[in-house]
Amino acid sequence: MPNEITLTIDGVTVTAKPGQTVIQAAMDAGIYVPYLCYWPGMKPYGACRMCVVEVEGQRGTPVSCTLPAAPGMVVKSTTPQVKELRQGILELLLSEHPHGCLTCHRIELCGPQDICLRHVRVTDRCVVCPKNERCELKDTVRYVNMNLETPLAYNYRNLPVETRDPFYDRDYNLCIVCARCIRVCEEVRGDDAIAMVDRSGTALVGTSRGTSLLESGCEFCGACVDVCPVGALVERRYKWEKAIKTVTSTCTHCPVGCQVKLEVDARGRVIRSVGDWSAPANQGQLCFKGKFGMEFVNHRARLKTPLVRRHGVLEEATWDEALDILAARLPDYRDGAYAMLVSPRTTNEDAYLAQRFARTVMGTNNVDVASNTRPEMLLSLRDTLGTMAATGTVQDLEQAKAVLVVNSNTTEDHNVAAVPLKKAAKAGTLKLVVIDAREVELTRYAEVWLRPYPGTEATLVAGLLRVIADEGLQDDDYIAANCQGWDDLVRSLQAFPLSQVEEATGVPAAQVQQAARLLAANRPGGIMYALDNIPADQRTSLLHGLIDLALATGNVGAPNAGLFPLLPGTNEQGAWDVGCVPAFLPGHVAVDDDGGRAAFESAWTSDLPQTPGLGVNDLFHAVLDGRVKAVQIVGDSAAIDEPARHALAQAELLVVHDLFLGDLAQQADIVLPLVAFAEQEGTYTSLDRRVQLLRQAVLPKGESQSLGWVLRGVTERMGAWGFAFERASEVFDQVAAMVPFYGGISHQRLDGLAGGLQWPCPADSHPGTPHLHADDEAYVHTARFAALHTTQRPTPPREFPLLYAPGRVLAQPDEDVAVVQVNGQNALQREEAVEISAGDAQAFGINDGDLLDVVTPLSRVRGRARVNGTMPGVVAMTTLFGELATDMQASDAPDPALRVPGLDVMPARLEKASD
Amino acid sequence: MSDAFAALERQARETWAALEARPRVRVGTDISGLAAGAGQVLDALRREVERRGLDVAVHAVGSLGQCYAEPLVDIQKPGGARVFYRNVTPEMVPQLVEDCLVGDGVRADLALGSLGDDASPDVPRFEELDAWRHQVRIATRNCGTIDPGEMSHYIAHGGYSALAKALDEMTPQEVLDQVSKAGLRGRGGAAFPTAVKWGFLTRTPGDVKYILVNCEEGDPGAFNDKGILESDPHTLIEGAILAGYATGATFGYVFIRHGHDGPIDRTRRAIEQAREAGLLGESVLGSDFAFDMEVSLVGESYVSGEETALMEAIEGKRAMPRFRPPFPAQFGVWGKPSNINNVKTLAYVPEIVRRGGEWFAGIGHGRSTGTAILCLSGEVVRPGMYEVPFGLTLGQVIRDIAGGVLGGRSVKVLQTGGPLGGVLGPASMDIVLDFESMAQAGAILGSGGIIVGSEDVCAVDLVRNLVAFCQFESCGKCFPCRLGMTHLVEVLDRIAEGRGRPGDQQLMESMGRSMALGSLCGHGQLGFNPVSSAFRYFAEDFRVHIEEQRCPVGRCATFFFKPTRTRPMATGGWYAQRDYAHH
Repeated sequence: MPNEITLTIDGVTVTAKPGQTVIQAAMDAGIYVPYLCYWPGMKPYGACRMCVVEVEGQRGTPVSCTLPAAPGMVVKSTTPQVKELRQGILELLLSEHPHGCLTCHRIELCGPQDICLRHVRVTDRCVVCPKNERCELKDTVRYVNMNLETPLAYNYRNLPVETRDPFYDRDYNLCIVCARCIRVCEEVRGDDAIAMVDRSGTALVGTSRGTSLLESGCEFCGACVDVCPVGALVERRYKWEKAIKTVTSTCTHCPVGCQVKLEVDARGRVIRSVGDWSAPANQGQLCFKGKFGMEFVNHRARLKTPLVRRHGVLEEATWDEALDILAARLPDYRDGAYAMLVSPRTTNEDAYLAQRFARTVMGTNNVDVASNTRPEMLLSLRDTLGTMAATGTVQDLEQAKAVLVVNSNTTEDHNVAAVPLKKAAKAGTLKLVVIDAREVELTRYAEVWLRPYPGTEATLVAGLLRVIADEGLQDDDYIAANCQGWDDLVRSLQAFPLSQVEEATGVPAAQVQQAARLLAANRPGGIMYALDNIPADQRTSLLHGLIDLALATGNVGAPNAGLFPLLPGTNEQGAWDVGCVPAFLPGHVAVDDDGGRAAFESAWTSDLPQTPGLGVNDLFHAVLDGRVKAVQIVGDSAAIDEPARHALAQAELLVVHDLFLGDLAQQADIVLPLVAFAEQEGTYTSLDRRVQLLRQAVLPKGESQSLGWVLRGVTERMGAWGFAFERASEVFDQVAAMVPFYGGISHQRLDGLAGGLQWPCPADSHPGTPHLHADDEAYVHTARFAALHTTQRPTPPREFPLLYAPGRVLAQPDEDVAVVQVNGQNALQREEAVEISAGDAQAFGINDGDLLDVVTPLSRVRGRARVNGTMPGVVAMTTLFGELATDMQASDAPDPALRVPGLDVMPARLEKASD
Repeated sequence: MSDAFAALERQARETWAALEARPRVRVGTDISGLAAGAGQVLDALRREVERRGLDVAVHAVGSLGQCYAEPLVDIQKPGGARVFYRNVTPEMVPQLVEDCLVGDGVRADLALGSLGDDASPDVPRFEELDAWRHQVRIATRNCGTIDPGEMSHYIAHGGYSALAKALDEMTPQEVLDQVSKAGLRGRGGAAFPTAVKWGFLTRTPGDVKYILVNCEEGDPGAFNDKGILESDPHTLIEGAILAGYATGATFGYVFIRHGHDGPIDRTRRAIEQAREAGLLGESVLGSDFAFDMEVSLVGESYVSGEETALMEAIEGKRAMPRFRPPFPAQFGVWGKPSNINNVKTLAYVPEIVRRGGEWFAGIGHGRSTGTAILCLSGEVVRPGMYEVPFGLTLGQVIRDIAGGVLGGRSVKVLQTGGPLGGVLGPASMDIVLDFESMAQAGAILGSGGIIVGSEDVCAVDLVRNLVAFCQFESCGKCFPCRLGMTHLVEVLDRIAEGRGRPGDQQLMESMGRSMALGSLCGHGQLGFNPVSSAFRYFAEDFRVHIEEQRCPVGRCATFFFKPTRTRPMATGGWYAQRDYAHH
C-alpha cells in the first residue's frame, strides 16, 4: 500500500494509513489504549484524556485520538507518567459518577441481591445501573487499576431521571459528559436534538432550554443510546436485562438493509437492537423502527399453533392436521384459481419457494409480494436501462454533490437512506433538491424545495429536463457514449415550455431553472424517489423523466451517483430477483419469454404458465369476480386493508400465515403460525441490491414455522417434488444456480462479510457491484431516453375541491408547542395550523385564524387557518414527528412499526368549526 | 505614494489644522472615563459652550490611560499647550469654562499636568509626572489625542501611511521581515514571535485565509485591548490589513465580547470609514490587494478567547477549544488557514512598518522588544493603562507609576496576566518586566494586567477567588479542567472556611499535575498556576489556614463570595430552570 506509515507503539512496529491517528493505528494493531469520549467512526473530540500517551522527542502527554500517526514515531502508552495521569483524571471523573462497585475488589463476587459489606449507598452501586456489564467506564477503571479509596469528595447529583419521553431513559446522574451522544446526533445523524448545556462543573448533556425530546427535534433513532459508554442513556424496555448473546442480522422494517445486532437474553427474548458500525449498509445507524420496534418478535400475542376452521370456528390444530387439510384442498384450485401473496418481509429463500410452488405445483403465475403496488418503479428501469434495480449504493451518496429526492418521506420510510443526505447537506458538500407537495424532514435540508401541485410532478421533472436541454447543460460526451434517443427526448420536451410548466405545477419557472442548473452543475448526483401520492396514470411519465434526468446529467454508472427507486417493501427487490412476482421468473426472466422459461421448465421439470399472473393490484378484484377462489397470504396480514379483506371474504379457501391473529387471519380457513425475521435463516436483498444474511437469533415462538417448511410439508403430501430442503442455505444455492447475477453468492460467503454482496455477483470470486452500468462488460450501455408526454392536471371531485397535503417534521422552532403529561408520559399539545393560499381563503370565505376542519373521505382534522403563500388548491398541515413517536409508544398494536401512518395526499374540503 | 492615499492625507491634515486653529476641549470617554462620569461632563461642557456661544470644538476622545484622574478634560488653545484637568465634575464645568475658555487662564489647582509647551509654572509637565515619565507610547500613541470616530484624525497623525508605504514600496515578505526584525512577540499571553506565526500562514496555500483579531479580553483587570479599540481603532485596522498583506489573507474578523459597546461601536464605525475611503475592500488604496474586515461578537465566555474556541464561536458554535494539530494556520475558522493575533500585537505593526523593525527592537529588554501595555489596578494610588518599555522592574511599575498602595500600606501580592497568570509576593519588586523573567518567577505577563493587593489581602481568599473564576469559566469539555477546577475550588473553599485538612495541599498538587499535563487547552493547563504560585509565595497563609484553622488577616471569615456552578445538582443549574420550557 502506498504511503504507509510505520511507527512503534509500546515496542510493537505497526503500520498506519495516512490520516490515521495513533489510537486508530493502535486499535488496528490490536493494542488497547483506553478511551471514553473517542468513538471509532466519529471525529475525535479529545475531552476524556484517557488515551494520553508519550511520544519520544515530544513534550508532554498528547492524546492519541487526535495525534496523527507520523513515520518513525515512537509511542509509549504505558509509562508511569501516563498511568499516573490516567489514574488522576479518572479519580476526578469518579468523584461525580456513582462508583461504589467500580473500584471494589468484590465486584465479580457480588450480586444484585447481596448486602454491601462496605455500606455503599444503593444509588452508588453498579448493580442498579441498567448498563450491566456493558459499561466502558468499568472497563477503563479496571484497566488503569484504580485505588479503592479516593481523597476527593463525591457527590451524587441527585437529578431526576428523565423517563417521560418515548423509548429511552436519560439518567444524567450517570453521565460522564463525554459528548458522544451529542456528536453522534450532530455529526453522524445530521440532527441537533441534544447539546451541551451549561458549562464548567455544571456542564451536562441536555436539550436546549431543557425541553422534551419531542420538541427538540429528536428522531428517536437511538444512535445516542448505542454510543453511550455508561448507563446514562438506555432503552427503557428490558432496561436492566442482561444479554447472553448477540446475533447480527438484517433489519426487517424497510429495504435499506441495516445490519442490526440483536441482543438476546437467557429467556430467549430479543431485548435490544444495536446498529452494526462495521456494516456498510447503515454504518452503525438505525431508525426508530429498527431500534425500538423489535418487540413484536417477543410479543405475547404471537400465534403458537396452527388454527383450522371447524364448524365455523377457528380451533387449534396440529401441523399434521393443518397440512393434511391444505394438501387436500389446494389441488382443487390449480391453474389460475389460486393466488399467493407473500409479505415483503419474506426472505429470498421463501419467496423463491413460494413462486416455484405457485408455478410448478399450482400451475399459476398468481404470485406476488404484497408491497408490489408500484411495479412501474422497476419496470421503467427495465425499459430504459435494462436492469431492474437501483443503480448505485445508498451510503455512497454522502460523497455526492447533489441529490434530488422526489415524493419520498425518506426520513420515516427509509430512514437510514436519508442519513448520508442529511450529513452531507449539513456539511455543505451536497446540494439537496426536494420535489414534494408535503413538508417532510428532508425539505428542511434542501437547497431548493419544489412544491408542485400534487399530481403534476411528472410535468415538473419534464420542466427540469427542458431547462437542461435549452441551456445545453446535458453531458454530451456521456450521452454520445452511452445513450440513445436524446434527440427524441428533446423533441418531446417541446411540449413543455417553462411557462406552461409553471402554470401546471404552480412552481415558479425561476425555481425550476435554479434546481435544474444545480443538478446539472453538481455531479456526481443521485436521484431518490418513492411514488408517494403519484396517481397511477402518471407514474411511468414521472419515472421516465427521472431516468432521463439521470442519463442527461451522466449520473448512471458513476460512483456516488445513480437512480434509487425507494421500494416500499423490505425484501421487495429480493422478491423481484427470485421471481416472486406475476410477470417474471427468477433472474428477471419474463414469463412470456419462451427461451428463458424453457430453462426453468427443464430445471424444475414442469411446464410453466406463460401469461403473467395476477398481482397484488389485481388480485382482490379477481377474488370478487370469482376468478380466484383460493388465496394464501403469507405474513403481515395486518397490512391488508379493509376493502381487500372484504374481497377475500369471498374466497373459498383463505390460508393465512402470520405472527398474530389479526382481522384477516380471523376470517381465514387455515391460520399458520409464521416465524419472525429474528427466528429464521435466510437473506434479504436491500434496495441497493445488497444481499445480506438473516441469522437466527432466537428460537421460533411456539410451533411457528417458515413458509419454506410449510411448502415442504404440503408438497410432500401433494406428491410434488423440489421442496425438500433442510436449510435456507440450500435453497439459496439453488437460487444462485438459476439467477446469474446471484451466481457468486452463498450463505457461507455472506457469513464472512459485514457488508453482504451487491449483485450482480456472478462468480465466487466476484466482489459484488456497487454501481451498475459502469464500465462492465456484462452490461453494455444500451440506455435509452424515454420521450415524455404531457399529462393532465388531475381535477378534484366536486365535493372535495381541495387537496390536503399532510407533512411531518422533527421540530418547528417557530411554533408554539406545549408538552403535557399523558399517563405519566410526555405528549405534545398544540394547535395545528392549516395552511391555505390567499385565493382559496377568499373563495371559501376563510379568514386567517379561523378554526377549520379539514375533511377528507377518510378523516377529519381540526386546525387554525393560516393564510399564506401555499399552493392554490392545496391545504397543508405539518405535524411533529414527536406525535408519531408518542403514538407508536402508546400503540397496542403488536408491531406498530409496520403501520406507521403515511403522509397521503387526499382530496379535501374545509368546514368552519367553532371553539 | 498612491494618489488615493495622498488625497486622504491632504484632506486629513487640513481637517486637523482647522481644528488646531480653534480652542478645543477633549474629554476622555473610554469605559473608565464614562464610569467616572465623563458622559455628564461632556454634556455639561457642550451645554456651557453653546450657552455662552463660544467658538470652541468639544470632542470625545479615547483614554490617555490615567484612569485615576478621570474624568479628564483636556483644554487647548490655538498654539498652546494641552492642559489636563483631573476628576472634573459637571458642577465644575461652568467655572472651568469661565476661567479657561472665556478667560485666558489656567486653573493650576485643578490641573493634572500639561503636554506640549509649559502652560504655567504651577502646572507640571506630563514628562515630569511619575505616572507618565516611564512611558513610551507606541500602540497607544494616539489614545486620548484623537477622536476615535474620525478617521481623518488618525491619518493626520501618520495613520495608514505605513499601509501606503507597504503597498507602494514593500513586498509582503519585506513587511514580514520588518516584523521579524522588530522581534515582535504576541501580547496575548504566549509571547510567540509574531513573524514566525505569520510565516506559518504565509506558507499555507489557500484561496481564502483569515486574520483573526482577538479582543475577547476576559481577564479581570485587563482592559488594554478594549482601550485601544475604544481610543484608536484604526491602528488595529491598519495593523490587521498589514498582517493580511504580509500573509496573503483577505479577510479579518475582530472578535469582541458582546456588551462592550464602546469598542464594538467604534471598531464597526472605523471599519465602515476605512471601507468608504478605499482602505478596505476589493482594492486596498487602489492596489490589487483585497482585504475586508468585520466585527464578530461572542457571548460571555472566557474560554472563547482561546484561539480555537474563538474560531468555533465565530462559526456560531459553542465556544469549546479544538484539539491541535491541525493548527489554525492549516485549519482555522471555517476550516480555512487562519492567523490569530491579539489587538495589542497588531496595534504595534503600523509603527513598526513605518519606522522600521530595528527602531522597535531598540526599545525594550533582551528578547522582549518594544513596550508592555500594563493595566494597573487593585489597591493602588494610580490605577490606569500605561505603555512602558520592557526592562523596568516591577518595583518601578508599582511604586513610581502606580504610586504604591493606597493608604501607605505595603504591597503583599501582585496578580499578573489574568487569573491563570498566578500571583507574586512582596519580594517580587526586583523582577524585571520581560516575558522570560516573569515566567521564571512563576507568573506570566499575559495580557498585561497587574492587580495589586495590600497587606490586608489573604492569599487563600484571593486564590479561591481566582480559581472560582477559572472554574466558572471552564468550558466543560475536557475532563481534567472541568473536574479539576471544580475540586480545586471546593478544596480551597473549605480551607478558607477553616475546614482544611492535612494533605489538602498534596491533593491539590496532584490534581494540578493532572490538569497541567492532561488538559486540552491553556485554560486547564495553566489553571493550577494561581494555586502553585500561591504555595510558592504564601505558604504561611496556607499553613495557618490549615493547621490553625484561622485566617491570618481575618478576611476569609467574613467572606462574601461563594463559588457557584460547581456540580450539576437537582437544586441548581439548568436542571432547576428546565420548566421554563413549559411556560
